[in-house]
Amino acid sequence: MDFPHLHLLLNHFPIIGTMLGVGLFLTSIVVKNRDLQISSLVVFVAMALLTIPAFITGVGAQEKIVADGGISNELIQRHEGSAELSVWFMEITGALAVIALWQFVRRRTPARSNTFAILIFSVLTVGLMARTGNTGGEIRHLEIRSAEEGTIADSALSYFEPSPAKFTRLMIINKWWWAFMMDMHFIGLVLLIGTIGMLNLRVLGFAKQVPIGALNRLVPWGLAGFGLNVVTGMLAFIGMPTFYSHDIAFVLKIAAIVLAVTGMGLFYLTGAFRDCEGLGSGKDAPLRARIIAGTTLVLWFAIIVLGRYIQPLQDSIAR
Amino acid sequence: MTVPLFLNALERTGLSTWLRESESVFGFYFILVFHTIGLALVVGPNAAIDLRILGVAAEIPLPPLRNWFTLMWLGLGINIVSGVFLVLAYPSKAFTNPDFYLKLALVGFAIWNLRRMKQQLFDDSDQAEAATLARGRRLAVWSLILWGGVITAGRLLAYTCSYLVYGVPC
Repeated sequence: MDFPHLHLLLNHFPIIGTMLGVGLFLTSIVVKNRDLQISSLVVFVAMALLTIPAFITGVGAQEKIVADGGISNELIQRHEGSAELSVWFMEITGALAVIALWQFVRRRTPARSNTFAILIFSVLTVGLMARTGNTGGEIRHLEIRSAEEGTIADSALSYFEPSPAKFTRLMIINKWWWAFMMDMHFIGLVLLIGTIGMLNLRVLGFAKQVPIGALNRLVPWGLAGFGLNVVTGMLAFIGMPTFYSHDIAFVLKIAAIVLAVTGMGLFYLTGAFRDCEGLGSGKDAPLRARIIAGTTLVLWFAIIVLGRYIQPLQDSIAR
Repeated sequence: MTVPLFLNALERTGLSTWLRESESVFGFYFILVFHTIGLALVVGPNAAIDLRILGVAAEIPLPPLRNWFTLMWLGLGINIVSGVFLVLAYPSKAFTNPDFYLKLALVGFAIWNLRRMKQQLFDDSDQAEAATLARGRRLAVWSLILWGGVITAGRLLAYTCSYLVYGVPC
């Protein structure tokens, strides 16, 4: 298993998954089905999550195949520019979906403005992701390259796409900008552990006098911290892509993030949270909730440890 | 600025050299991992308590949060020990950087603030919650400012040093 394989395995999810999500989301609005809408939002969140490794493995795949003859680096750059634009739209869609899921629980139904925003952003993401898939396919598939230079929409879009090389330089040109991003990454870490981490600890039985349902109200702050870390982490990756992609600690960290978020998703979706939401002061959480909370908590700390080992383990994956 | 000679002597001790140069995964970065976990354990719960005092998640009863202080003191202990080792690995780098003294000062104030929070809000349990909160608001704001400052000053250590080791510029 190497980067080209992983990239091919992952890169279809953001395209097809988002299309599926939009389909479910639109249907749920038309037929006014709450469960369907929740499902579509979960699909958006899952796709936003899977987009991160799909994007990251692309850099490793690029390095592998530029060594081959007959591959146009120009086409790869176009694909990368397209990816760098669509990834942000995907992450915004994912973040809006998380907010909507939270609103489903707290206010029974998401805010109208949020539903509207999800609709806009998810449809835009589908378009941008389709273009990313198309430009990516053209790297290898000669048969789909069009003879003449694309449509108006195509040239209009490329105007908005960042030039990958320029974007990369922008991130690392000023060391104070880099220092600021890293600072924010630590602030995000603190918010996440202080809220989501403490909720997990409570489910495990630490400081049992705190009711779980009340503690859960702090979770949006942890999610905000996580969002801050996704943004600053992705910007850092864009700044030094080949530094990170050849680092086993970084690759494992990304895998652990996918697992930790999945664990959190399971906590809320399987009913593990519902089982302990009403538990008052001093009550023990059921075993299922404790298993999920414990695993997730270990993963969050593993992410911190792996993040710290990125620097000494640079070049641990052969170039 | 002349770097005091004793820093060089400290750097040449076996422990300092090992911490700096060891290829082992239990070397410098192992200490740094503990420093980061300690940070999460001190500042994480403290930030959550600050948010609670400032009105977020008002359903959380304050008195049981007293138990979180155990975790925070543990994190503080981890960070004092790991911090000493980190300074031992690069004494010239630390002591020649004004930002290092700023960080230490901010840590001092933050701990002092945390202790006041514990005494005024949690040890004196017979007062009404409204009174507790009124007193705690200022401490909570300071807590967020001070810990934010500690993290920022700590991060900046890597970007502001003038010597890596004795006689070797950063």
